[in-house]
Amino acid sequence: MNHLNQLFGVSSGAGPYRDAVTGLESLNFSDEIQQLVTMPPENTGSFTALLEMPATQAMELFTSSSPATVPRIAGDISPPTLHLYGSLNFPPAIAAEQNGNFSGDGESVPSSFSERVKSEPDDSYPTVENQNHNKRKTRGKKVKSSTKKNKSSEEESEKLPYVHVRARRGQATNNHSLAERARREKINARMKLLQELVPGCDKIQGTALVLDEIINHVQTLQNQVEMLSMRLAAVNPRIDFNLDSILASQNGSLMDGSFNGEAYHQMQQWPLDGYHQPEWGREEDHHQAHFLMGSGTLHPNQVKMEL
Amino acid sequence: MQPTSLMKEEFLKKWQMGLQIYRPLIDNTSVSERRKAIKLSADVAMASLRRGTTCWSRALIQKTATENNFLVRQMLSGIKAETLINKKLPKVMCHRKIVRRSKKNFMRRKSRSVSEEVAAKARKLIKRKTQGLRNVVPGGEFMNNDVLLIQETLDYIVSLQTQVNVMRSIVDAAEAGIERTACYLEKLKFTIED
Repeated sequence: MNHLNQLFGVSSGAGPYRDAVTGLESLNFSDEIQQLVTMPPENTGSFTALLEMPATQAMELFTSSSPATVPRIAGDISPPTLHLYGSLNFPPAIAAEQNGNFSGDGESVPSSFSERVKSEPDDSYPTVENQNHNKRKTRGKKVKSSTKKNKSSEEESEKLPYVHVRARRGQATNNHSLAERARREKINARMKLLQELVPGCDKIQGTALVLDEIINHVQTLQNQVEMLSMRLAAVNPRIDFNLDSILASQNGSLMDGSFNGEAYHQMQQWPLDGYHQPEWGREEDHHQAHFLMGSGTLHPNQVKMEL
Repeated sequence: MQPTSLMKEEFLKKWQMGLQIYRPLIDNTSVSERRKAIKLSADVAMASLRRGTTCWSRALIQKTATENNFLVRQMLSGIKAETLINKKLPKVMCHRKIVRRSKKNFMRRKSRSVSEEVAAKARKLIKRKTQGLRNVVPGGEFMNNDVLLIQETLDYIVSLQTQVNVMRSIVDAAEAGIERTACYLEKLKFTIED
């Protein structure tokens, strides 16, 4: 609580009052915030009195932090105010959105999280105490959505001077929740990547279904590999595996005909090769592998595959 | 991240190397043998692209090395082959029944509320899915960390995609080539007979 006192102490006056209030608020945080959220902005004057931070510094603070998508914030809150808490609350928001998280069986150092957080304080220390009612509202919203996850405690510990955070009742210790949140953040970031990679995953909400899709995709790809190897084996009897000899052949122009495959080996033995290549060049355009002639070996920089 | 052409080239090169190694065995064998050889060399090629940096590639190489040591050694150049093949992956011993029973007892003591139950069910579901993912990804059983699991899956999917793309183009070209050769053979026949 020291930094909280510091926080309040820096802005003018009402220190002891604030301390008492913070103690109270730590108990009734969720209720208050829910009320706050439902109240129109004008009625939160009491909170601004409590917190008393100049609005200009708030804006500075907000614009300095990285913007994060917080789609669930109430519309009446102006966009700049979202950013700070967007960056802080992004993981639990996402975490809450998904209907279950991975069980906490791995410990990860919250280095990434704290790094990100530390980058911000330097320029916004003076603006620390900015907490107008809008901010409280945004956090309140997020509190609602992140059902039982710890949010405020980490903010407390990291963004020391200006994190205006109330510990929620029954929260785990700071270090644990920090670690857990950093870990969850990592997982969610990677899940997003996976969602982009796997086609058709973007629309899906919820970790379980996304995981289903991923498993499905991997299995599909593995089956495709099986199929392709079967086809290749079937094609094989008339074809040599000897791509090298194909490539080593002196028909440079033949190769430029952009034909790819072992069948070349057969082709070259026929006298009509030179006759045929223009046709191949025209027709094979949808899988062109230009094997440029080397000394019979494939040089990576000489092989261009436009697949 | 989609497969790049550089990745495809490397894969193709390694795959060819593997196929070359198999070549003396292949000419007179059955289709299934050939298929196995093709798939093996493709898999090892895919795994060797990662040079042992990822867990799945190591697991895949170890898996193939148990049966086809020779091929694997040939395909991987240098000392890396030895270390990769001989290194034992950590075994995770977990008697699931015992763990499950103890969890059940533990859960019985806790007081339940509706929201907790829902969350617990969701967590269980997700656990089941992650277990399913571990079964699919090679070497998944050794990844206790969820973060690691997802990272490996990402890499694995990208590599699989390259593998599929390259193989597909080769197969298409080969099959098209077969048809073409057949056509031209026919044409040849006609021209000759004239």
